Amino acid sequence: MNRICCFAVVSMLALVGCSGKENLIVLTPNAGGTAGAMELTNEGGVVTLDQAGKAIIVKGRQAKPSNLVDISDAETRALFQDALNAQPLAPQSFLLYFEFGTENLTAESTQLIDVILQSIHERDSRDISVVGHTDRAGDYEYNLALSLTRAKSVRDLLVERGVAADFIQLSSHGEGNPLVSTADNIAEAKNRRVEVMVR
Amino acid sequence: MKKPVMGFLMLLLWALCAPSWAEVQHIGKVKGTNGIVSIQRAGKMIPAFPHMKVYLNDMLVTGSDGVIGLLLEDNTLLSMGPMSRLALDKFDFSPAQNRYALQLRMEQGTFVYLSGLMGKLAPYAVKLDTPAGTISMLKETNFMARFPGDE
Repeated sequence: MNRICCFAVVSMLALVGCSGKENLIVLTPNAGGTAGAMELTNEGGVVTLDQAGKAIIVKGRQAKPSNLVDISDAETRALFQDALNAQPLAPQSFLLYFEFGTENLTAESTQLIDVILQSIHERDSRDISVVGHTDRAGDYEYNLALSLTRAKSVRDLLVERGVAADFIQLSSHGEGNPLVSTADNIAEAKNRRVEVMVR
Repeated sequence: MKKPVMGFLMLLLWALCAPSWAEVQHIGKVKGTNGIVSIQRAGKMIPAFPHMKVYLNDMLVTGSDGVIGLLLEDNTLLSMGPMSRLALDKFDFSPAQNRYALQLRMEQGTFVYLSGLMGKLAPYAVKLDTPAGTISMLKETNFMARFPGDE
């Protein structure tokens, strides 16, 4: 019985999808897999949509919105195929780490450069920010200069590999923006970093 | 779990350091198009291409074979299928001043919406006007919607 009902709902929805004039709103999961929640308000009432894979169907602003109905992934894909194909890749961020007191990348971070280049190419990105940071070993002025040197060295690595310098915005925060809080004059590897954001 | 949180913190830091959005600043960029896509701006229709900036009060319009993908400055991702119209009515992403607003008018067509920082930091600041009614966010939310209109 349940299965027949379910089938009926799905076929009705398929009809709506193919030829109906009804408006359709489908909740999709967030990046972490959890569902968000929204409220649709019109002259016919208010409905909360808070389960991924569920939809509401509404004739128009004056019409009462439907209760939540199931919609299959296959149908969602079919209905939204064109828009899904046009969906841009989400911005991506990377952390590069440095040897103590230098602008030399750690061996592990050196390997990340290829991953960053791939991210830039996949997005055809012209909006790359490179932000330098240091730990709190050494004085403030020294660290401000070092964080800029670090950011510049990362920019130069990217430019050497074919990224246009115009697409890269440089900035440096010295020791003022640590990932891990420490007392002054403490060396902390996690704070000796450059953040690269590819949008 | 750790990685997304890290990415989020970095985006937030980046956002705090970025300048606040005055009206002349762009609010997003076209990331990809296919077919005929236009931007209606100050009464004129101009063709839309990848990397073009979009501004407050722009209306994006796709033709019968047109699709477009958009990245707003708070990292909201929006894409539209053919025969769609979207107006960018309000945008203010100024975390340093604790000021947020995102209001879009989905007039017709198919839309894929992936929430950005605005949806994370201030979901209540997100409002979407649609032919079905007004959508308001209760938390960070992704969705797809279809508004067939009268074509």
